[in-house]
Amino acid sequence: MKSFCNQILIICSIALLGCVPWDADDLDPVPGSLRMQVALEWNDEPYAVGDVAEDHLGHPVRIDNLQCYIAPIEFREKDGEWITIDDVYLIDFSEHNPTIVAALPAGSYDAFRMGLGIPPEINTDIDPASYPNDHPLSVLGSAGMFWTWASGYIFVKYEGKFALESGSQLIEPLSYHCGTDESYRTVLFEWDEPLAIESHEATASILTLDAAKALIGVDESIDIALNPVTHNASGDSLGSVMMNLLDDAWTWNLLP
Amino acid sequence: MDMELTTMKTHSITSILLLFSVLFTTGCDRCREVPCDTADCSPAATPFELEIPPFFPPMDIPEDNPLTVEGIELGRLLFWEKQLSADGSMSCGSCHLPESSFSDPNPYSTGITGATGIRNAMAIINIGWAPSFFWDGRALTLEEQILEPVEHPDEMALEWTQAVARLQATESAAQSDVNYPDRFEVAFGDRNITAEGVTKAIAQFLRTMVSADSKFDQWRRGETVLTDDEFAGYEIFLREGGDPETTPGGQFGGDCFHCHSEAGLQFSDYLFRNNGLDSTFTADAGHAIVSGNPLDSGRFKTPTLRNIALTGPYMHDGRFQSLEEVIDHYNSGGVPSATIDPFMKYTTGGLALSPVQKSQLIAFLHTLTDTSFVQNPHFQDPH
Repeated sequence: MKSFCNQILIICSIALLGCVPWDADDLDPVPGSLRMQVALEWNDEPYAVGDVAEDHLGHPVRIDNLQCYIAPIEFREKDGEWITIDDVYLIDFSEHNPTIVAALPAGSYDAFRMGLGIPPEINTDIDPASYPNDHPLSVLGSAGMFWTWASGYIFVKYEGKFALESGSQLIEPLSYHCGTDESYRTVLFEWDEPLAIESHEATASILTLDAAKALIGVDESIDIALNPVTHNASGDSLGSVMMNLLDDAWTWNLLP
Repeated sequence: MDMELTTMKTHSITSILLLFSVLFTTGCDRCREVPCDTADCSPAATPFELEIPPFFPPMDIPEDNPLTVEGIELGRLLFWEKQLSADGSMSCGSCHLPESSFSDPNPYSTGITGATGIRNAMAIINIGWAPSFFWDGRALTLEEQILEPVEHPDEMALEWTQAVARLQATESAAQSDVNYPDRFEVAFGDRNITAEGVTKAIAQFLRTMVSADSKFDQWRRGETVLTDDEFAGYEIFLREGGDPETTPGGQFGGDCFHCHSEAGLQFSDYLFRNNGLDSTFTADAGHAIVSGNPLDSGRFKTPTLRNIALTGPYMHDGRFQSLEEVIDHYNSGGVPSATIDPFMKYTTGGLALSPVQKSQLIAFLHTLTDTSFVQNPHFQDPH
């Protein structure tokens, strides 16, 4: 009888080993998952694309299209190593509740950073047609976010309408397209209290962009009436100004 | 004792075999995968490998409708099949004429009752790469798109149940040149024809309608040169629009590339835009009809510029007869409205293209003409 049980045990083991794909990674600790909801605000108040708000100079403004690439998205372990959870992500604020979901190894993290834009090494020298169609840098995935095959991606697209005076119809166009390798920025959050990721457990967080702060900061600001358009062409500093402002326009928080 | 031992051994072996059976039939998804290389596992269909032209992106083919030689040929027969219209007078090809790059040279197509539609028939060219269909994007797959015109009362006006019955009846109809049940059996492994099968076959055919041999394609491949005017027009196509004195960021260009993106040589970003044709949209709200979002009012899908010289009249309602009229419209800056695209230069005096620049731009647009595509014998009426 003992022998019979042993046989069963051996056969079970063989059968299971034979069926489950063997991978050394299986020995690693089971990761947790991180859900990062992406939200939009206007002067610290919830804001949705299509809403009319007021800028720092009193112009009524409506953002009709707000998209940006973040690449890569990384968390820093306590030993200083950066863990990449996504190489490239395209945020489209027109979508309902865009959310980044990724596996993150269990452990303790003390910083989060994201590239704002596309890193130079993948911005201009890779043909979008070489990516599968569901990749954010592919021809279809980057629709409307690609200048030409030679000059790379639009990092941030901030488009809409405004009025010169309160009460007037919003008819003036604003169109800020920021890009170029020089415009690539890194947004960094460091925490005194580390973020703990537990195996099998989901951690929820929220990444928020304040679209009003893309127009005004401590040292720089943009007057949409005077400078309503940038294509970030050479000699045009407006795109760089907006990228600087955007750098400070994000917040990241844990959700209960 | 020996008897007991034998019984126990028998039990043991039986249990082991049973355990193996259970483990290997229920415990492992990977072991259950059975390769199927042909459409719907039809043993007779021949897989067709579509050649993706240089610089083009991959084409996503639905897993449940892989291309096969027989499916494509069946799709071609059905695309040109007039029995799919109520009075037997119209096929899909009646409004998608080869000489017009498979579009309609009339602003609106006329259906079997004499009624006309409200939008210009879109050109069929490289649509295997499109992520949505119709000017307003209401269909998200080719198969879904194909369902509509057959039943539409202003187009072919035939209910699918009748269309399928007609095709099924060709098995014994002496007057039909095609035995469709035979064709469906070979293509899909089933003689019973369904609307889904018809749309799948036509979709397969349409995915093979690839244009990649225009003069511009040949130039990109290094096989020919553009004339000075054509190249100047290409540069205008790629530059930001407007006079830099009046338009921030202006480069005296045509500002075409933003929407008619050159990425993947598609010459469309397939997005929905209001290009400043009208100030109100009560006649046709465009993509807003589909999305329900007022911000989409007056927005229509960006068509490809490939074969644009052949696909007039232009715009969703065919209001412009010539490329000259189209360029003049963009040069004017367009009509302001709440949803006009910010690329339109309606507040700063338009693109400011000179007559010479306009003619150069048109010369470039003609380099996108691919006559080998419209004359391809594999796309013509086989009946």
